Amino acid sequence: MVVLDPAHGGTDPGARGAQGIRESDLVLDLTFQVRRALEAQGFQVTQTRSGNENPSFDDRSAMANAQRGAVFVTLHISSTGLPGTARVYVLADMPGAVTTGGMLSWDFAQAPYVILSRKFGDAVQGQLAQRFKGSPNSVQIANVRQLRTTAAPAIAVELSSVSVQDRGELDKMMPGVADAIARGLAAFRPSYVVAGEAGARP
Amino acid sequence: MNGRWRTWLLIGLGAAVVVAAIYFPYLRRRVKTAAKIQQPTEEQARRELTSPSPASASDPVVKARMFWASGEDQTRLASINVELALSPDPVLRSKQVLNTLLAGPVDSELRTLPPDAALLAFYLLPDGTGIADFSEALGTSTPSGIQSEQLAVDSIARTLEANVPQVKRLKILIHGQEMETLAGHLDLTQMFVVNTKAVQPTSLSPAAPVKPRSNTAPVAASAPAGNSPPRPRQR
Repeated sequence: MVVLDPAHGGTDPGARGAQGIRESDLVLDLTFQVRRALEAQGFQVTQTRSGNENPSFDDRSAMANAQRGAVFVTLHISSTGLPGTARVYVLADMPGAVTTGGMLSWDFAQAPYVILSRKFGDAVQGQLAQRFKGSPNSVQIANVRQLRTTAAPAIAVELSSVSVQDRGELDKMMPGVADAIARGLAAFRPSYVVAGEAGARP
Repeated sequence: MNGRWRTWLLIGLGAAVVVAAIYFPYLRRRVKTAAKIQQPTEEQARRELTSPSPASASDPVVKARMFWASGEDQTRLASINVELALSPDPVLRSKQVLNTLLAGPVDSELRTLPPDAALLAFYLLPDGTGIADFSEALGTSTPSGIQSEQLAVDSIARTLEANVPQVKRLKILIHGQEMETLAGHLDLTQMFVVNTKAVQPTSLSPAAPVKPRSNTAPVAASAPAGNSPPRPRQR
């Protein structure tokens, strides 16, 4: 199961551009395109929101945490950065995360998945770098709040940026981003075997 | 009263009116100026309260390394040496370098923190945890986005790392409160590693350790239950 998370929504528009571009609207459109690309590859897909709602960070994570063998992709558009590029972010190691009786704290749910998230992120970032000149070749580290409580391989994909003069420039990027995520996930899929969950597949 | 005295009285009153007519606009301007001085904006008042810790005459002038955005690639940081009189006291020194960071570089395009943000307080715990309390503008004026928010926090952490070796970890507060994110993306509920050499992993090793690619990897809060929190140090 792939959980797609269009960030923000409701009263939170996210990044806003001078031309009235709102991150929350754009990422919803992007999510629908990514969904179609993933379903074409045979993946099951669900979304944290399908309209203008704004679930909490925890509610969004819960959708992935409730699934066995899920992967999580949160989608963003930045305020800044080189227009026409895309970056994938994952969390750094979480060395201080504490387990209690074998149970992992909700607050550090991502800790056992950091390595898998990095593999997944590198696979997607490699695809994006081929399509969008100026994008990095490997995944970036950032302390993205949404990823910390997600108990699954989890990445954040951020396109640059809402500062473009015409929304069409971002719309043009969307099919390429959707294809890159679908191909990246297909490449990552064989390596997704969670300890104690043999056979778990997205 | 005879006519001569009446004439002198009228002349005196006329002179007083002329002097008042000349002096009144000047007086009015002074009153307006005084009113402006007495009513500073909230931001001005806050900045006065939180003005940079003044360097004392005994503070040595050193080359401080400040981290602002790179002119070649504004998604990355570049270090710039700035001559500053810095206190040997780690709390005062932290305030001095963070206020310099907030003031920004000569090229304002390379700022990493919003110009209207201010440092309200800085505390240093005995275990090397620095607590930086910024004004609300840090959250409301930092451009929303993973990249821009990470760059802002990285610039704070790396500037502290380069200039105040006593600070090992960093907790960022906004107006005295813990916020969930900086501007919608970056997690502020965790502490950030400032001095990677000084901070050792405490427990749990997820799958296999991997070297972080960012200086500001979050550190999970892991204070043992029952321990009283260390007392912060503030100047």
